[in-house]
Amino acid sequence: MKRNPTAFLKIEYLDLVNKNLDWKLRILESGSTPHAIVDGKKILMLCSNNYLNLSNHPRLIKAAVDAAKKYGAGSGSVRAIAGTMKLHMDVEKKLAKFKRTESALIYQTGFAANAGLIPQLVGEGDIIISDELNHGSIIDGVRLSKADRAVYKHKDMGELDKVLSEADKKYRRILIITDGVFSMDGDIAPMDKIVKLANKYGAMTYVDDAHGEGVIGPDGRGIGAHFGIEGKIDVEMGTFSKAYGVVGGLIAGSQDLVNFAYNKSRTWLLSGSHPPAVSGAQLAAIEVLETEPEHVNKLWDNTKYFKKELKSMGFDTGQSETPITPVIVGESNKAKELSNMLFEEGIFALPIVFPMVARDKARIRTMMNAGLTKKDLDFALEKFEKLGKKLSII
Amino acid sequence: MVLKIGFIVNPIAGMGGRVGLKGTDDVLDEAVNLGAKPVAPGKAEEALNEYMSNYANKKDVIHWLTCAGSMGFDELKNACIKNVEVVYKPTSIETSPDDTKKACKVFLEKKVDLILFCGGDGTIRDIFDIVDKKIPVLGIPAGVKMHSGVFGVNTRAVAKMLNEFVNHSLTVGDVDVMDLDEKLYRKGEWKIKLFGVAKGIIEPTYVQVGKTVFESVSDDEFKNELAEHVSDEMDKYSDFLFLMGSGGTIDFISRKIGFDNTLLGIDAVYNKKLVAKDLNEEGILNLLKKYPKVKVILSPIGAQGFILGRGNLQLSPAVIRKVGLDNIIVVSTPSKLISTPFIRVDTGDKNLDRLFAEKEFMMVVIGYRLSRVVRIQTNNF
Repeated sequence: MKRNPTAFLKIEYLDLVNKNLDWKLRILESGSTPHAIVDGKKILMLCSNNYLNLSNHPRLIKAAVDAAKKYGAGSGSVRAIAGTMKLHMDVEKKLAKFKRTESALIYQTGFAANAGLIPQLVGEGDIIISDELNHGSIIDGVRLSKADRAVYKHKDMGELDKVLSEADKKYRRILIITDGVFSMDGDIAPMDKIVKLANKYGAMTYVDDAHGEGVIGPDGRGIGAHFGIEGKIDVEMGTFSKAYGVVGGLIAGSQDLVNFAYNKSRTWLLSGSHPPAVSGAQLAAIEVLETEPEHVNKLWDNTKYFKKELKSMGFDTGQSETPITPVIVGESNKAKELSNMLFEEGIFALPIVFPMVARDKARIRTMMNAGLTKKDLDFALEKFEKLGKKLSII
Repeated sequence: MVLKIGFIVNPIAGMGGRVGLKGTDDVLDEAVNLGAKPVAPGKAEEALNEYMSNYANKKDVIHWLTCAGSMGFDELKNACIKNVEVVYKPTSIETSPDDTKKACKVFLEKKVDLILFCGGDGTIRDIFDIVDKKIPVLGIPAGVKMHSGVFGVNTRAVAKMLNEFVNHSLTVGDVDVMDLDEKLYRKGEWKIKLFGVAKGIIEPTYVQVGKTVFESVSDDEFKNELAEHVSDEMDKYSDFLFLMGSGGTIDFISRKIGFDNTLLGIDAVYNKKLVAKDLNEEGILNLLKKYPKVKVILSPIGAQGFILGRGNLQLSPAVIRKVGLDNIIVVSTPSKLISTPFIRVDTGDKNLDRLFAEKEFMMVVIGYRLSRVVRIQTNNF
């Protein structure tokens, strides 16, 4: 019998549906604003990555519109052929200055940066040493490389030292790779200590600072600034899609790194460059960070207030050091139930359950936002308290 | 769905411990004469009570099949468990390994989903003799010797694992059946042997496939990766002899690469071809004269994570010294490292153990070209 070439599409999709593993997409009918409309319902947004609410900032919107009007809707090509606009170069120059590194490079997305660059930095005969809790896009970048891989226990510098001393004997290049801010718990990698260990053994350092860019460090300049080690991390990788409020991946480091990266990253070389509107908004985002410190300040004020109040109600907010605020509730079903009840009450926050976190540490992961007012936070806190008591969490 | 669980208690397990015997296998009378008291029934009840008070709900999710009297029924009754069916009656009050085996035959016929037993290494060996890999087993620890990988660390852990098995959040995987060679022991030699690989219940391993999506990956998939890794090493070190250790993981790897392996013994491979099978110490030392460059592939065995000293006894201190510590490659599925977070070594040679102790850590291969650092523990340091 002739085979049915596409029957698997339906079969595999239905299998996911039956196991309740398919993505049920929630539809935003407004912008990604603190008060948004999701699936026809007015909600308070507590799970976007739009930390500084810059996606709604008038300067960014105007810059996007102006750039589109001036340069058109698309860029016409990949960067390497005819798609490098002066606007792209302006963003990179401004970004390097902001991050106090020698140079910077924009990728189409954060994932494209990791998947494109990591396999070029290390290959056969090399080793990548990675924190066990690193994010999926790092993991994929690591998998695309021919290098050997070793993992160390989350933030355990003793183990990292041991792996480095073993690796030192056997490998040509060593790359230590870590998330800057870990997205499930909101804790920060000890980058200062990692750089010190890397220097001891002559290893490269690579940090994925997606949740740290625009959030930690003075003016939100990221993890290098947070530890006062700007320019000392070999690759600071980040994204424009979270606190910066736009889209796009970035790396910051030496001119040598940038020259190497754009000549070798297949993701960069083979995808079209950002449309002018995106680049215009990116440029404006950096300008806003440079000139309007109130957004980062407000984000941290909100974070401190929200965490303090949750704790005083008796909630466990885990190890977070950043605006990612987990509300730990225990069993997975309870977290899912609380998330559903919160949505009914007008609060959008997602449950994070086993195996993303330990079986007894299921949680609601809330993300603070500079656009939330004290009134908004009190509204959310009141609902958390009411439902927390109802479900006997507090 | 109601699960069928076969429940069996070896009422005399653990009686030798308090009176200084390493078990009751073959020497029950001696133990009783020395004043030994039953241990297992109490431990079994403790585990059942933990399960009932912490996890059981009103719905009957388990249909219990058990043996009469102190071989299971009494303990279930004392823990107020209903939905119990007695499927085997021991022939006399003094139970024997034969009773355990006969009960297991009934469990096989009745197609139970899990055998929950209370006993020690001797008990699991009797069960394994009958059920082999056909039914997963979970042990409530009550024996004197518990080197096998089938036991929960204590009664509370067993209750938790049982609940997670009932809720389908644990999976089935390989566990080692180990025991002291008791006849040798009573002659003054203390040797733990690997007797086989049974099915136990284990924590599944998850891999991130999306921002917030994880998929559980079976142990066999990881073993496939380990096989690929070892195969690459054999290509890379084509002038090396590879000594393949014992146990289920190494057995899987060897078969995947394409040679017929000895589950419980040491085999030698050169250029991916079997050179010698089931070698003893002397055989290995003779081979080493011919092949000066050697690598050894080992995997942790049993409940405590030993790579040397429990099982793999043919890899004597003399062999390990010749091979060199740097030529030992340790491989393990990630799930095994969850239950045995240390690599343990007890070669019987203090100076050699000291060399391992000084290393402190070992890189353990857990996937294709993927390793993690694991602490080494030796008995003496």
